[in-house]
Amino acid sequence: MKISENWLREWTNPNWDTNTLSEELSLAGLEVDGIEPVAGTFTNVVVGHVLSVEKHPDADKLNITQVDVGDASPVQIVCGAKNVVVGMKACCAKVGAKLPGDFKIKKAKLRGVPSHGMLCGVTEIGLPDDGVDGLFVLPSDAPIGMDVREYLDLDDCIIEVDLTPNRADCFSVIGLARDVHAVSGVALTQPFEDKDMAGTLKCSQPVIVKEAQACPKYLGCVVTDFDPKATTPAWMVQKLQRSGLRSLGLVVDITNYVLLELGQPMHAFDLDSLKGAVQVRKAYLGEKLVTLDEKEVVLSEDTLVIADDSGVIALAGIMGGLSTSVTSETTQIFFECAHFSRLAITGKARKYGLHTDSSMRFERGVDPMLPERALNRALSLFSEIAGGTISQIQATVSEEYLPKPITIELRSETITKRLGVEVSKAQVEQIFERLGFDIKETESGWALTAPSYRFDMSIEMDLIEEVGRIFGYNNLPETPVHAPMTLNALPEAEQSLFTLKMALVQRGYNEVITYSFVEESKQKLLEPKQPYVLLKNPISDDMKAMRTNLFSGLLQSVAYNQNRQQPRVRLFESGLVFYKNDSDPTGATQIPMLGGVITGNKSASGWDGVERVVDFFDLKGDVETLIRMSHQVENIRFEACKHPALHPGQSASIMKNGEEVGIMGQLHPSLVKPIGVSGKVYLFQIHQDALMTMQVPAAKVISKFPEVQRDLAFLVDKDLAVQALIDSIVAVESDILKSVELFDIYRGDGVDASQKSIALTLKIQHQDRTLQDDEVDALISDVLASAKQAVNAELR
Amino acid sequence: MQEQLQTIISQAKMAVKSVTDLAKLDEIRVQYLGKKGELTSMMKMLGKLSHEERPKAGQIINEAKQMVQGILNAKKRELDDAKLAKQLAEESIDITLPGRDVDLGGLHPVTRTLQRIETLFSKAGFDVETGPEIEDDWHNFEALNIPETHPARAMHDTFYINEHTVLRTHTSGVQIRTMENKKPPLRIIAPGRVYRCDSDQTHTPMFHQVEGLIIEKDASFAQLRALLIEFLRQFFEDDNLKTRFRPSYFPFTEPSAEVDIATDLFGDGRWIEVLGCGMVHPKVLTNVGIDPDEYTGLAFGLGVERLAMLRYNVNDLRQFFENDLRFLQQFK
Repeated sequence: MKISENWLREWTNPNWDTNTLSEELSLAGLEVDGIEPVAGTFTNVVVGHVLSVEKHPDADKLNITQVDVGDASPVQIVCGAKNVVVGMKACCAKVGAKLPGDFKIKKAKLRGVPSHGMLCGVTEIGLPDDGVDGLFVLPSDAPIGMDVREYLDLDDCIIEVDLTPNRADCFSVIGLARDVHAVSGVALTQPFEDKDMAGTLKCSQPVIVKEAQACPKYLGCVVTDFDPKATTPAWMVQKLQRSGLRSLGLVVDITNYVLLELGQPMHAFDLDSLKGAVQVRKAYLGEKLVTLDEKEVVLSEDTLVIADDSGVIALAGIMGGLSTSVTSETTQIFFECAHFSRLAITGKARKYGLHTDSSMRFERGVDPMLPERALNRALSLFSEIAGGTISQIQATVSEEYLPKPITIELRSETITKRLGVEVSKAQVEQIFERLGFDIKETESGWALTAPSYRFDMSIEMDLIEEVGRIFGYNNLPETPVHAPMTLNALPEAEQSLFTLKMALVQRGYNEVITYSFVEESKQKLLEPKQPYVLLKNPISDDMKAMRTNLFSGLLQSVAYNQNRQQPRVRLFESGLVFYKNDSDPTGATQIPMLGGVITGNKSASGWDGVERVVDFFDLKGDVETLIRMSHQVENIRFEACKHPALHPGQSASIMKNGEEVGIMGQLHPSLVKPIGVSGKVYLFQIHQDALMTMQVPAAKVISKFPEVQRDLAFLVDKDLAVQALIDSIVAVESDILKSVELFDIYRGDGVDASQKSIALTLKIQHQDRTLQDDEVDALISDVLASAKQAVNAELR
Repeated sequence: MQEQLQTIISQAKMAVKSVTDLAKLDEIRVQYLGKKGELTSMMKMLGKLSHEERPKAGQIINEAKQMVQGILNAKKRELDDAKLAKQLAEESIDITLPGRDVDLGGLHPVTRTLQRIETLFSKAGFDVETGPEIEDDWHNFEALNIPETHPARAMHDTFYINEHTVLRTHTSGVQIRTMENKKPPLRIIAPGRVYRCDSDQTHTPMFHQVEGLIIEKDASFAQLRALLIEFLRQFFEDDNLKTRFRPSYFPFTEPSAEVDIATDLFGDGRWIEVLGCGMVHPKVLTNVGIDPDEYTGLAFGLGVERLAMLRYNVNDLRQFFENDLRFLQQFK
């Protein structure tokens, strides 16, 4: 909300400069978002009266004017503005004046003619551009010679306050003033007198409130016989403007003025265009209304409306309709000033895209006791400006639905406990007195009744917040938390994600963080069968589907960097993926995943000429490192698999105890282009949970006896997985077979084209004694038999 | 004999002088000192001398032998040194060339910031908790005292999955999940991704928060102040960091505050908002079965990107999610 500082100071005027005032508002919880002077800094600019205008003899576009600036004799000013005319009042910068931008006005000669000052346009004195090409024309009654800053009340700032939803009571000058009073203690003075404006004539407009709960108070009043030509006074226009509202005619201006001043939204109807009784009811399904801003809205049944016999004429508490609006032709007015319940209005403005000053206030709540006062204030302003005959005020009130003031107990002990400081009895009482509460002392503290505009008060903690707020949060002590010193658990068998991340960092990976929502079509390319969750209201179409894998984001980041001359990319990300799952309460299984991508050269720098691009096994090395770090080597196996995102001959399932916990492989060549990357790209992702359990090491005794090493070369089918051969050997289950390691794979001369040679090193050792040759031979013969049987392997 | 020896020595000297390799030098050694060498043969002739002459002659032959040996040794050292020098010269390299396999990536600045926050709090005994990002209405709103009709719902710019499921708009839901499952006293932080339907220069639809929660008997606002002021000073490593607590509003805390910081290190000493906090609303405690008369809660929520921007001099929020390597590689 924007408000003029001077307007606020009319209500309460502490001896604070603008910055202090703004700081104090912020520290009272009414956050000031900005302070803007209404005009630039300038001096010595006065109201000038143009007495004569003559053409400059030597310049087509210049005029020589004589201007009365209130001094003994007029001054001669050469002026280039097109709109200069004899008799006008304009802003005149005198010799010695300083204009915004440190522009000094001196005696000058323009094309040989002396000029003693300058006639100014709006922007030249730092006011917002009004679109007029030329001088800023002042009203004809502007007093000649008066300082323009004073005349236009330019020593003012616009204060923009960002209100929290609970402080609906501050959506007005009076509201802010009340809090300034509470904080400063400076008196709150209402700059006008409350008057009872009701006339004697009966209000001619019947009103039927059908929804008493939604509209517990509806005041109506008819005004006739006023001056239809009356216009909004300049002081009111100015205050409205400084709050960001344009002047839209006297009646609307007055309702807006009262809205800003007191916080009560109102509406005025053209009485002659109303047909039959005004009704407050719910809309019928599909009913239509053309609003003041000429938009047609189709209403649903949950919407509270004002209607007459012709149909809906206003959206209650939000906006009026065009057909019944007050115009320059209007001769009779029906004023509406109502209290609508928050629940009746909440969400409707959003639903119809009609956020207004009125809806904003009703949604957050308006003082239920305010309508009488606000209507009288509006009528009083109207009658002062335009005269007229005012009817009786017709009130339809349902007391049972009006919010009631509640009394809350505040214990002095709770203040001390919760705030951590002792606040004296006198201080507490002063705070609530200034906040307008009704105070009664009790045994343990006070019973406090909040004023009707503080409907945000409902529990003791609300009162404690008020004490803290006015006492000043920053005046509270800083008291360290005292709690028993306990050591947190440190489970050594739990791997930390951070450690795994650091391992990837040390292997050249950069961590990325990508959005959890991705482009639906790309996700479908990568995982066509995995059901996913869609956002109902995405930011854009390419951020609509919750990711079912980390690949989309990683690949997008690869593409982004490849497009910026980064051919070598190594990235990883950790985060949740989301599988649609209707049996989960959230509708999705949410799995923490760790994934990575590599592409480009193996080495970061290749000066010694051994550059090569990465392949499957480079990535597998990284994945195996993670697996080793988590002591999962024995539990995890890689199995050839088919995945729609991956090359069918270069992809693996990462299996843990028979369950797939991850996948890795080369991005399917047919996806390279559609995804927007280039070159060979290798990806992995693995469930974080699969890597999170480690083992606490338990050292074994190292055998003192010699180790026997046997190298065996087998001939096997060319398509046989090496793992299968190793499995067949390990299956022998011997206590003395310590390890089986691959050291060579050979295809070519000497090996049949249908076969390959796999060379393995077997390490054999006994824990307690030196092995005999025949024991080793027996093991080898078992190994050969098992390999033959399982995978038809022959010793080469 | 003296003369003869002198001749041998000078011959040996001559021979050694022109030698350039060890093999040749060895030939010379054999020629003079070998079994059949000239000096060895002279030694053999000693037997022919008289008993009186023998020691004297033996001595001078030995001296000659030692002299020749000395000449040979000196030459050998000379040759060895030359060989080594040659080898070293051949083996010398440009040590300014880069080392192999230096390949260091980096953590994302947001992770780095989260890690810093987690470390600070876990040292003070806070446990780290996590929760789901697709969240139900209860945990994201209802339990936090934000009913359907609450105006605060409109503040949240929520991404909806359906009527009852949303992308969590804050990490505060983890408070609820933790309090539902663990008994007080509690000290936790909950870092993670959160989502708001808002995207412009200063908003990204996804960002990170760290939620903090303390449930103790008789916790006070003064304690919340101490904790957060200390956190901010340690995080920024600035003992002179200025802070101010501004009353604010969150449906799940009462009283509520926002905390601004000011320092000359950045932001020209202007106030910059960095976190929201408050005392857990009694309704929230009741919602999770904790008696608000017995326990009090302190809660706070840190905006991680904001802290990262201030700490690491990042001026555009959106850079965090562009994942440009040129940006990321600055955070090694």
